Amino acid sequence: MSNMPNMSGVSYTAPLATGRRIVALWFPYWAGETTQIAYDKTKSFALIERSKNAQRLVGLTPLAAQQGLSLGLSLADARALLPDLQTAMAEPMEAAARLQKCAYWLQRYTPWVGHDPPNESPHAENTDYGLLLDVSGCAHLFGGERALLADMQARFLNRGITAHAAMAGTVGAAWGLVRFGSTAKTTPQARRQIIVPEGHEAEAVLPLPPAALRLSGVHIDLCQRLGLATVGDLAGFARRELTRRFGPSPVLRLEQALGQAGESLNPCLPPPRFLVRHNLAHGVTQMEALAQLIGDLCTRLVAQLDRASQGAQRLDLALTRSDNAVLALSLPLAHPCADGGHMTRLFEERLSRLSRGVHAGYGIEQLTLAASRTAPISQPQETMSAFGGGQTRDKRRAAPIAALGSLYDRLVSRLGAQVVVRPVPHASYIPERAVRLVPVLTPDKQAPNKQAPNKPEESPYGGLPDPATRPLFMLCAPEPIEVIAEIPEGAPYRFRWRRVLHEITAAYGPERISPEWWAGLTGETPAHHNRQTRDYYRLEDTQGHRFWVYRDGLYDRETTQPRWFMHGVFP
Amino acid sequence: MEIKPAAHIKATTKSQKLAGLRRLVARFEPVVAQGPHIQTGFADIDAYLADEVANAGLACGGLHEVVAARTGDMAAALGFAHRLAARFLDRPHTQDMLLYGQTHMACREAGQPYGPALAAHGLSADRLVYIDGARLPDLLWAGEEALLCSAIGCIVLSSWDEAPSFTASRRLSLAARAAERPLVMALGAQAGTSASAATTRWQVEALPKQGWQVRLTKLRMSYNTMPPTEGWTLYPKTMSQHLPLMDSAAEVSGVAQVRSG
Repeated sequence: MSNMPNMSGVSYTAPLATGRRIVALWFPYWAGETTQIAYDKTKSFALIERSKNAQRLVGLTPLAAQQGLSLGLSLADARALLPDLQTAMAEPMEAAARLQKCAYWLQRYTPWVGHDPPNESPHAENTDYGLLLDVSGCAHLFGGERALLADMQARFLNRGITAHAAMAGTVGAAWGLVRFGSTAKTTPQARRQIIVPEGHEAEAVLPLPPAALRLSGVHIDLCQRLGLATVGDLAGFARRELTRRFGPSPVLRLEQALGQAGESLNPCLPPPRFLVRHNLAHGVTQMEALAQLIGDLCTRLVAQLDRASQGAQRLDLALTRSDNAVLALSLPLAHPCADGGHMTRLFEERLSRLSRGVHAGYGIEQLTLAASRTAPISQPQETMSAFGGGQTRDKRRAAPIAALGSLYDRLVSRLGAQVVVRPVPHASYIPERAVRLVPVLTPDKQAPNKQAPNKPEESPYGGLPDPATRPLFMLCAPEPIEVIAEIPEGAPYRFRWRRVLHEITAAYGPERISPEWWAGLTGETPAHHNRQTRDYYRLEDTQGHRFWVYRDGLYDRETTQPRWFMHGVFP
Repeated sequence: MEIKPAAHIKATTKSQKLAGLRRLVARFEPVVAQGPHIQTGFADIDAYLADEVANAGLACGGLHEVVAARTGDMAAALGFAHRLAARFLDRPHTQDMLLYGQTHMACREAGQPYGPALAAHGLSADRLVYIDGARLPDLLWAGEEALLCSAIGCIVLSSWDEAPSFTASRRLSLAARAAERPLVMALGAQAGTSASAATTRWQVEALPKQGWQVRLTKLRMSYNTMPPTEGWTLYPKTMSQHLPLMDSAAEVSGVAQVRSG
């Protein structure tokens, strides 16, 4: 930060469009209001906590605040003020859990609901209850930004929850405005609703007090001692001086609020995308029935997975008993699986291996199966399930296709998808392009052999080459060879390849392969070395090694110094 | 297993004693004498196997090594390995696949299998699964996995510079015997000298005029006479057509015009 140019405060006000719309929600009475639901709403309510031999108020409702109670007041003082005060013990863990639940509910507005402070899950120590929503591109679905906030706040109001909302282009600005933004009414019940148009964060944030920048208590105290009443005062200093006096954090917060520094907002983890559930009217106690139900669940889950072309890599099965005890089973899979029979068998084995069996108690009332981790699968799994549909568990006696599929899965999972390949013919006269090595898990439809416009067998100029004229092993790329003696327009009779000199005793050729002039027309870019005519020769040296070499380019017509390449070896 | 040597060495003549001892030894290695066998398709080798080796053929369930005699002979060794693979696959289950795997080094040095040429060696590109470069331990693991898969009829693994350890080859050999499916290990000249538990080890050397000199340097099957040390000279039939001989450099361009059927 210190090596940055000295920038004056003016630069902070430069409008900056972030392209994001962030909603900050702040629930000043979250713990009190959500706990009060079970109590009489017409009376004041407070949450208390026992600390240092005194019971102190740690949560309030708007009514209690209006009647003069404040946080930190001892219970005795509060009762003196309001004799009919209702109280309950504070349970911050539960309040945090309710906030998490609320975050999931807010996904009805946007999928991107994050915790506040960003990227931290709610915990008991955090008694400042807020949420952050990235509603970029969502507002029009609810009739505009103002309507979105109004709808949101109305729904909270119905539940008796005070929710302040602010919308801005940055997380920092929305956070500060929702807590410190000015509002016409000052009663505790008033709900703040502030919308800052895009690019106007600076105007909105600069009049706020420094605490609106998410500063720590130490920094806020320092601001007070220095007489900095607003963010604008703070921003009036050069960044270098701010950094020297406060450390890097206030400058970063300021820049984040104004959209000059990026800030990520992670959505809280959504519930599993692939989830099926069985609710039973009567509890099931018998293992056979349970296995049947699990089989049904697997089939339904596979249907969900199939629609999304996904395979499950991890399955979570939860069996809920009528007394609400949950038996949870988690099943990692070595490879993405969308085979219901396979999943069912794995669960059956797993249940049978449980040391004391499944204690169904008064019966299992709910079964939930979720694919908590999935991966796209390219293998058409119908073939696997059609052939290996659970008739036999013996790997050796399984149908060949199923066995091959599971072998492919194992090989690919260890060696990699690009390594386990099969040759697929391709319509091309260029030898190295006549066959492509395609990953085995590629569906046949994507194999490129059908789309090519010029198939050799349909060509009037000749059919497929004689297999005997092609080398059994083709080098990954043609390797240049140093031809020491040759006849112009003829085969070499001495050349050096990989530093070994070969004396040729027999030659056969040339087989002339012209570049595919139509490749440019059909949109395919021919490889660089494909632009010239090749003359292929089959050669045998004195020791009996056999080679497939070519001369790249025709003498005089295409090049004056044609180069020679080794392209393959015959056994 | 209880062994009673006296029962076997009761014979009087030397040859009878030897035969008795061989039967005894065969009981220690019972597996090689069982299971399906194939003919290699090379008349001389088949004649030797038929006359001298129990069960008169090459055991399908086993590890067979094919070693290049010289550095440049890897192509010939791989060619021979693929010929064996074609014979192994030429069984009633014609839909069985060939798994061919190479180490990274072998890929670079020996090249990749070329689909259009496979037909000339009795193989089909449709039935080839190819592992395009892996570390040797991964390749051996893949071979062992493939032995468990009923849809794989034969496995050819190729390594250029390092050979599996004796333990690894023993493991593969036992797995191949148990699965009654062959695993052919092609090794470069530098790798082909280590100890191994292979059922057979063949050494292949390229000969002029498209020939191979094939020696059977190791045979873990009960046999009567040693395989010939000089090996067999083979001229595989359906390989590429005979190259016209080039007597002098002047004829090189001349032969270009001659295209024999």
